[in-house]
Amino acid sequence: MTLPILPTTVVGSYSMPGWLERLKTEYFARRISRHDLDEIHDTAVKADIKDQEVAGLDIITDGEARRDNMIDYFVERLPGVQIDRSSKKFYYDFYDSVVQGKIPMASLGLVPDFKFLLANTDREAKICITGPHCLTKRIRNQHYPDEASLAIDLGRVFNLELKELVKAGAHYIQIDEPYYSGFPEDLPWAVKALNTMVDGVNARIAVHICYGNRYGKPSWEGSYRYLFPTIKEAKVQALTMEFARRGGEDLDLFKEFNPPFALGVGVIDVKSHDVETPDLVAERIRKALEVLPPEKIFILPDCGLFHLPRDVAFAKLKTMVEGTKLVRAELK
Amino acid sequence: MILQLNHLQGKAAGASQEVIETLYAMLAEGHIEPNEFARLRIQLDWLQYKKNFREVVLVTPDKEPGREDAPFLQMQVDTRQVVPGCLKPAVMRALIRHQPKAGMGPAEENLPLEEFKPFRSSLAWDFNRLYWHRLKEWEVATGQGYEKALPGGQSDANHPDAVADGVADFWTLIRDLDAKKQLPPEIFLMEIGVGTGQRCGLFLDRFHALDTQRGTNYYPKLRVLLGDYSMQTLDRSRAAVQKHIDLCSFVALDALNPIKTLSFLRHKLLHVHLTNVYDNLPNDELLRREGKLFFIETRAFLPMNEVVRIAEKYGLPAEKTRTLVSRLLEGGPDYLGDYDRGMNYWMEIWEAMRLEERLVPIEDVADSVLPPGLDVAKLEEILEEAPSDLRFHLSSGALESFSNTIPLLGPRGYLQVQDIFVTDFNQYRLGFHGPGKLDGSIVNWVNGVLLREVGERAGYDVHFAPFQYRKGSKTSILYTTSRE
Repeated sequence: MTLPILPTTVVGSYSMPGWLERLKTEYFARRISRHDLDEIHDTAVKADIKDQEVAGLDIITDGEARRDNMIDYFVERLPGVQIDRSSKKFYYDFYDSVVQGKIPMASLGLVPDFKFLLANTDREAKICITGPHCLTKRIRNQHYPDEASLAIDLGRVFNLELKELVKAGAHYIQIDEPYYSGFPEDLPWAVKALNTMVDGVNARIAVHICYGNRYGKPSWEGSYRYLFPTIKEAKVQALTMEFARRGGEDLDLFKEFNPPFALGVGVIDVKSHDVETPDLVAERIRKALEVLPPEKIFILPDCGLFHLPRDVAFAKLKTMVEGTKLVRAELK
Repeated sequence: MILQLNHLQGKAAGASQEVIETLYAMLAEGHIEPNEFARLRIQLDWLQYKKNFREVVLVTPDKEPGREDAPFLQMQVDTRQVVPGCLKPAVMRALIRHQPKAGMGPAEENLPLEEFKPFRSSLAWDFNRLYWHRLKEWEVATGQGYEKALPGGQSDANHPDAVADGVADFWTLIRDLDAKKQLPPEIFLMEIGVGTGQRCGLFLDRFHALDTQRGTNYYPKLRVLLGDYSMQTLDRSRAAVQKHIDLCSFVALDALNPIKTLSFLRHKLLHVHLTNVYDNLPNDELLRREGKLFFIETRAFLPMNEVVRIAEKYGLPAEKTRTLVSRLLEGGPDYLGDYDRGMNYWMEIWEAMRLEERLVPIEDVADSVLPPGLDVAKLEEILEEAPSDLRFHLSSGALESFSNTIPLLGPRGYLQVQDIFVTDFNQYRLGFHGPGKLDGSIVNWVNGVLLREVGERAGYDVHFAPFQYRKGSKTSILYTTSRE
């Protein structure tokens, strides 16, 4: 499928409706069955797909309605990671998870959910996977000598899974590593773990690096300068970063360091309920075009739309697409 | 008849005998039907404050739609107001008002000042607003500063040890951010509801001293916002921070919605402090009884005898009292022409004003009456663990303020609120803390349980620590930590 110039996509999650939050929490209180919850998730994913298609996105995800948060969807699938199922009061809480032995190489079973997405859309599809650094920060390590060793082993397990996803038809994969910004000192080993994860994976792979979006608020502040030059060693094709909320100053880092990546430019502030105008979106894209050619840019929100009300999330996606069209017209 | 004593205060216990004797006498005299008597559910001394907007006896209708009689006839008696030998007329007045009947005489007339509505929308809060806007004038008229009305005669906010500890916490945070190279070039902090400005002045004095002592040079980077909705109060606070005036900005803002005024500082503030603000924000009350949730609507009124007395005293037409009250609230005491006369009129109306109430089943209440961050489903979930038969504060204003303040906090920023909090629903079994009248203002204890819940869903753990710096203080300090 040929994509237009400045392709539009999401970072991963779409709006999580209040009714689904309540139903997920009902499941943890054992008031609804796993079977019912799976049906509810299937229905919610179809709705998320439809909204992204109607908004006009070029590459869509399943909206991540099945995920309680960006961690638990993976830790409950990771072989060798034990979770305390009683540690959740609210569905969005993190499980208390611990690793007490070497993580075995085994499937995480992400393929069926991705196939469900493919079966329900004609658009290009993307799957987003939380990266080994982020997971290492959330799983209590009681086995490995250090965090780097755990991350590398996680990278190995995920590498197997990514290859299965590619076989299933995944052309676009995004790895989410928001904790880089909170722990810049980890970057040397975090990039090694990332490279283990993507080694030999034949897909367009992007790494999403933001300043956190837990509960819809930033977890850290600072500048993306900490990424350079170490991030240049990452064997991925693109970075996706947040520029709408934080401003575009750090775009100049791409001029200064000339990394070999395409850039997913965050043009929608996901921490504000105010819907941007197409003109504002276009302005943000133009700023990115000052440092990178259009063929190296794709357009997305700063981060997942999880915490935004559905009508706001939808309106923001529509305005993102409209703003992108304004710039595409100028580029012709 | 069920007599509920759980809120009864020691000194007033003697009056309980009089309540029982009066009711039995009224039963014997036929003023109360046996059927009514059997359904009576009486709560004594149900409200903590001596000045509490309520009459000595209150009968609260809670009829469910389509049902002739409620299972219980709710009666509340404030024993502190009971004058020995005079309870019977008060009970009769309340019963007649609830359900006029033959042989008990005409219902005593009151002058309603508004329709039944959620308490937070009551004009009682317009009086409260007027008081804070015209605080200085009230103080001149009464001859005492507002802090004198507080328990202990001074605000706990200004306790030097509390301020010093607060400064130490803040300085430690800044140093930590600095060590991680995450310290922004400008360090924003804010106090909402600055009062005299004394606390803010003390905080900055102490911070400056600590910063100098440690040689950290953070002080010049401070950007201090003093916020209040009263310009008069903001002007007055300037003197207290005069030494630090170059760092200070004075911002007129609504404590219910700080982000509206300061949206450009979203995720930028490192510290926000409030003392005795939440207890003074519009509030609603809910009641859970036999598994059902009721919203309590109120109506402000003046007893007719007071209407007549006040009108005669000031030479004003009694029939225009409603109009005069509404003009007083719009224009302040000047509106009546003679300023001193206007001040006294305001005080006497405020003193005489009462609230009556009715219960509305919560299923008839739209979610919109609930504050942001809380819906009926969440509320019911919280109440699963609360004791049954419970009247509690919804703390609408406090929750609204909280929800509209935390978006201003930066990733490591924290909110600190010093106030009177209920931190466990069981505390409502021991007393219902407000509304009370404090000078010209309203005071309510704040439902910390709901704040904790709303905080959790917004990404903050909410903690409460008792105010340890003054023996006997009932205040606590709320502080937030970012939730993972």
